[in-house]
Amino acid sequence: MSDEKFQVIIIGAGVAGSAAAYRLAKAGREVLVVDRGKAPGAKNMTGGRLYTYALKQLMPEEWQEAPLEREVTREIVMMMTPDSAVAVDSSFASMNRQSYTVLRAKLDAWMAAKAEEAGAMMVAGSTVDGLIVRDGKVCGVKIGEEELEADLVISAEGVNAIVAERAGVIKPVEVKNVAVGIKHVFRLPEATINDRFNAAPGQGTAMLCVGECTKGVSGGAFLYTNQDSISLGIVVDSLSWKNARLPIAEVAENIKQHPAIARYIQGGQLIEYSAHLIPEGGIKALPKLCADGFLLTGDAAGLVVNSGITVRGMDYAIMSGIAAADAANEAIEAGAYSAAALKGYETRLKHLVLKDLETFKNAHDYMVHTRHVFTTYPNLAAAMMKNMYTVDGSPAKRIAGVAKQTISGKLPYFDVIKDIVKGAGSL
Amino acid sequence: MKNLSMDDRLAVNRFDSDDHNSHIIVDKTACKTCPHRACTFSCPAERYKWDTVNDVLSFDHVGCLECGNCRLVCERLNQGIEGYSWNYPRHGKGIIFREG
Repeated sequence: MSDEKFQVIIIGAGVAGSAAAYRLAKAGREVLVVDRGKAPGAKNMTGGRLYTYALKQLMPEEWQEAPLEREVTREIVMMMTPDSAVAVDSSFASMNRQSYTVLRAKLDAWMAAKAEEAGAMMVAGSTVDGLIVRDGKVCGVKIGEEELEADLVISAEGVNAIVAERAGVIKPVEVKNVAVGIKHVFRLPEATINDRFNAAPGQGTAMLCVGECTKGVSGGAFLYTNQDSISLGIVVDSLSWKNARLPIAEVAENIKQHPAIARYIQGGQLIEYSAHLIPEGGIKALPKLCADGFLLTGDAAGLVVNSGITVRGMDYAIMSGIAAADAANEAIEAGAYSAAALKGYETRLKHLVLKDLETFKNAHDYMVHTRHVFTTYPNLAAAMMKNMYTVDGSPAKRIAGVAKQTISGKLPYFDVIKDIVKGAGSL
Repeated sequence: MKNLSMDDRLAVNRFDSDDHNSHIIVDKTACKTCPHRACTFSCPAERYKWDTVNDVLSFDHVGCLECGNCRLVCERLNQGIEGYSWNYPRHGKGIIFREG
């Protein structure tokens, strides 16, 4: 195999890598995908939910066969105190199959198989540990002693992009731009999930929580219903957590006990415990997306947006895989692989992915530096709702009076106004 | 639902561990001078523990979920200074997510 030269080698068979491989193989290119997992998907984890437009764009017909879990038709955002919760619970009759809960071991394996079917070559169980660089141009990958050559290398290696970092192609990711996610998957009968979440078969719930679930540290908890399991976990800003000095695994475990969560997972059997990083630095942390003979996609490029309500990464990863494949095709046709010849990649990404990153460029900073969102506001919301619903025979107050009584002395009004104004400009 | 110990949580996972070669190398003696010991409370799998009896770090790569958070919270792992290195396991070893 070492004598063979590929047109494109892709590092990583996640959704970005397999999307690029699928598209390139369909265009008749000689593509090799190298993945470090025993099988594609074995090293990946998501919360998580996939917005389907990207998958549709990649495979207009075949996407319907993808192993998606449940269509999200119910969205819950919740603020939590140690023993109470206030939630906004939205149910929709139809979301036009806009988003589905997913599990990566299944989804990635399926997408990789589709790419293989289209003609891409997949090698799993191999860790790329370096790039072959000649005169500043990336010419292939190193796997231990073995070297594999290619006209172009696409890095879809994920959030710890150590191959690209070590080759000096990108700057190392910084702790302030990363969040860490911890997830439990609990097995429960499909019918039990339908009952508990008041869901029709095939319909699912996505829940995001702030407050007690992360002990007031910037981040939140998530819950997604899969077909016959529930994904439950937390995501916290890595640097904020380092400064908070709280035991992360214990906090992740304790959310199971919160009364607003416990009833949903009751009787569930833990079938997997996982952790993964999320690049949340956004446009301000965006690395160089191409170098001579090299393109960077998905999490490796930090293509993630957390707006507080929607958390997106996999759709951008797929879109970046498509854009990388199209740019690679152009380069192959032109026989030119310099960074300049690959500029079409960035141009394509600008239309959607980079535009969204630009729109939410201040979201990450806002979340990290607006501590009331994770501490004071959940407490106030719960206290206010409790006060409003309290009837104990003492003279009743109007709503404004209850609000005033709840907030009084708890925090300066100026802070609230500042958070609202800044939030409106960031989220 | 009862809280589970870390051992019980990791026991439900599938691993193909490389028992002899650690993909993460730390210099436990040098770690004594670390001012924050963030690895001991930032690792989702609790692989890093401070042994208070012997006043030294204990680290076990078996059971690592390969998230990479230690590589970011620890400056020494991040910079890969002498005695410290962070890599993914080779040959498909390590965690095998069946759900993901």
